[in-house]
Amino acid sequence: MSDTIKKALSGCASHAEIRRQIYRTRRVAVLSGSLVTNISSKAAGACARVYRNGVWGFASIGDLSDAHVEEILRSARENAVLLDSRKPKNKGPLTLSAPAVYRAERPFQETDQKQLIDFAMALDSYIGENCPHVTSRSVAVIADCIEKELFTSEGACAHQLFPRTYVVVSLSAETDDGETVELYDIFGGGAGYFTDYYGDPAALHSAVDQLYNELMQKREGVFPEAGERLCIIDSVISGMVAHEAVGHTVEADLVLAGSVAAGSIGKTVASGLINLTDFAHTAFGEAAPLPVYADDEGVMCKDAPLIRDGVLVGYMNNLESARHFGMEPCGNARAFAFSDEPLIRMRNTAIHPGENTLEEMIASVENGYYLTKTRNGQADTTGEFMFGVTMGYEIKNGKLGRALRDTTISGVAFEMLKTVDMLSDTVHWDFAGYCGKKQPMPVSLGGPALRCKVNVGGR
Amino acid sequence: MENLKKTALFALDKMKEAGADHAQASVSEGRVEEFNVDAGEFSLIRSVFSASVGMKAIKDQKKGTGAINSLDPEDVAAAAAECVQSAEHGAEDPAVCISKKEENADFTDGALTCDKEAFLDSVIRFTEDAARDFPQIMLEQVVASYSYGRHVLANTNGVLFTEEDGSYNVSIMYSAHDGDKTTSFNYFDVETLDPHADIMELGMTRTMLERAVKELEASPFTGKFVGVAVFAPSAVPDVIDVITGSFAGDVALIEGTTPWKNSLGQQVASDCFSLSVIPNDPRVICGEKVTSDGYKSRNFDMIENGVLKSFCLSEYGSNRTGLPRAVSSSGCVEIKAGDRPLEEMIAGIEKGILVCRFSGGEPASNGDFSGVAKNSFLIENGKIGAPLTETMISGNFAEMLRRVEGVSAETLQDGSGVLPYVAFGGVTVSGKNNE
Repeated sequence: MSDTIKKALSGCASHAEIRRQIYRTRRVAVLSGSLVTNISSKAAGACARVYRNGVWGFASIGDLSDAHVEEILRSARENAVLLDSRKPKNKGPLTLSAPAVYRAERPFQETDQKQLIDFAMALDSYIGENCPHVTSRSVAVIADCIEKELFTSEGACAHQLFPRTYVVVSLSAETDDGETVELYDIFGGGAGYFTDYYGDPAALHSAVDQLYNELMQKREGVFPEAGERLCIIDSVISGMVAHEAVGHTVEADLVLAGSVAAGSIGKTVASGLINLTDFAHTAFGEAAPLPVYADDEGVMCKDAPLIRDGVLVGYMNNLESARHFGMEPCGNARAFAFSDEPLIRMRNTAIHPGENTLEEMIASVENGYYLTKTRNGQADTTGEFMFGVTMGYEIKNGKLGRALRDTTISGVAFEMLKTVDMLSDTVHWDFAGYCGKKQPMPVSLGGPALRCKVNVGGR
Repeated sequence: MENLKKTALFALDKMKEAGADHAQASVSEGRVEEFNVDAGEFSLIRSVFSASVGMKAIKDQKKGTGAINSLDPEDVAAAAAECVQSAEHGAEDPAVCISKKEENADFTDGALTCDKEAFLDSVIRFTEDAARDFPQIMLEQVVASYSYGRHVLANTNGVLFTEEDGSYNVSIMYSAHDGDKTTSFNYFDVETLDPHADIMELGMTRTMLERAVKELEASPFTGKFVGVAVFAPSAVPDVIDVITGSFAGDVALIEGTTPWKNSLGQQVASDCFSLSVIPNDPRVICGEKVTSDGYKSRNFDMIENGVLKSFCLSEYGSNRTGLPRAVSSSGCVEIKAGDRPLEEMIAGIEKGILVCRFSGGEPASNGDFSGVAKNSFLIENGKIGAPLTETMISGNFAEMLRRVEGVSAETLQDGSGVLPYVAFGGVTVSGKNNE
């Protein structure tokens, strides 16, 4: 911590933060042979946030130098004083009892834009040459890194890097009746740099072939019958349920705003087979897809248990909501840009695996659907959710049947989760998404395949 | 403004020095003052001071783009060099370009100074009005902000635009609660130039909150029918996104995935449906002055009496397809109001649904969609009836546009466009146990 920052924070009577941040992005996209996106960008700046009797003041500037530290802290303090004078809450000071101290071991690693372009062009060429029925194709390579340094008035000092790299391939084809069907998938990648995951583009050829095969099946696909159906929803979709339909309802700020989870601690909200956790940095004995070690209020991160054996056991908190609910903060206060204030956000949210194999689960369904891919999902603080399903299959007499065209599933999370009676023994993660809540935020979500009853939209 | 011009011209020089054949730079400086209300209580005041430089370099018909948030000459020079290097590594594309010089201009619009105290008073008054008039409403989040910006766009063809603007925006997310009853959340934005504005009376704020209270009695819909879906102005933007993106945007036309690819000059919607892009309309607050390509932005008619008059192509999309460029890249839209008031329009509907929010997956490129009708009401025998939960609607947007059964006389004017209620025929409405 620089002397300027130390001196500036030493004058704060209640909790105060100074955060410096650099966000580097590299994006390349090839659309049917044309390089349509070729971007490199960098945004760097600092912010200060000051707590005063129940309200916050915040200020930021696009400059990392110590010269502006006093200025933004003063501006943040003035904002807090103004709000405290106009809408006093008289909640007294807020303190961080165990300030985080953390320093990332691995330094930032620059990525070569040419490498990304060459990789995307090569993969695009492979699709052009080997997927004859594709009418439109795109390959995108994304390599981002958020670097944060946080200092708090209580002495928290955390330096973290959050690199994230992935490749997205989207394919379209026409059906015999002239309609367009589409599919996309994320190939490889994770919380690291491009060369950690990618070298020869040929390593992704088999994954492209598989996506193409699925697209060809979908081209011949049928629409599912609408109504409540017995389904096996695969891990990408169960992760979406974990994040969108349950996770948001147990974010403490949304609980305070009246989400369905308000007043439900200790109540049964799901089948006894369901366990749900927002993991900090390690999950199921391995590194979580997007590990977070210290949050942006200076709390050392730990897992936040949310559902145990079907019973709601906790919320995700920031310092203020943890004090309100008498819970321990687990490090969920996160900000996206240097100009953003920390909000309660998820990190790596997943339903725990069960004991069945996927094959056993499919064999157990006489008449239903196996739903494997989703494009997007939205949920309500009532727990009502709707997800677009882009790939799936009929299940007839325990065997997979025809592929499905695009459809949707919907329901109420805590009702749907009570119908879960089988979980697969394997968890898959999706780490390439952004969660939207005033600010975007990279998050990962995961889960096993679930056997449950859910409303299928049909055509 | 002079320092921004200087930075833009410096960035162009540096890109040329690094070998660019053509270069474009956009430089901005801005400030945001923001008040936040969370769970009904004021929580935060936020001040953001920002700057940015966006760059585009073309070398041997290969394009690179870059962005930084610093006006420091050393940083700009380094970013310019990197931008040109990205272009060198790129792929040749005859369609890439920078804007041609037509007529340079300087624009000034809106509220150029922030009256922070007065605006805070207005937001406080709004929260107090909401608590008094709608005690069941929970203001889950209110983000009230004043945004000021100065912008310069310049390129090596001699294009030079400057722009200075400022406005107030209030974004409101809310739900209603009464004992165990709770509604879905809903949200909307309103824009104003007046820091003293009565927020409760801006746009459809009062109507939206009144409807939320009625939604407390919502129940799941049972059954299935094909009928008329009246999209409220708050839900119409979902349809507009499909029209301007999936049906008329760059990727859709370059890839040929749009059902409208051969429809320019042809009927794509009912006669009563007209849609214009209106960045320069006085009802739009601080509308687009310069397109994302770098041209002066102008109003244009996209669909006139159901006939497709223009796509929404950028200059790149235009070069790729041979079709004309749209003269605005703005999302500010007017759908021409009809003659009949909403009540009269609904009186003619035997069975349908009033959709106030649509929560759906991204529609297929042919327009097929399905999703949940949120904050919505059943229409039966010509009247708005029971509020609904767990109700899905599905159909095809291209087909729906050909079956517009009415457009209301009332419009929402929230500072970002002019939108009426639009009644679409042939929409499938389904709920639980709909077999």
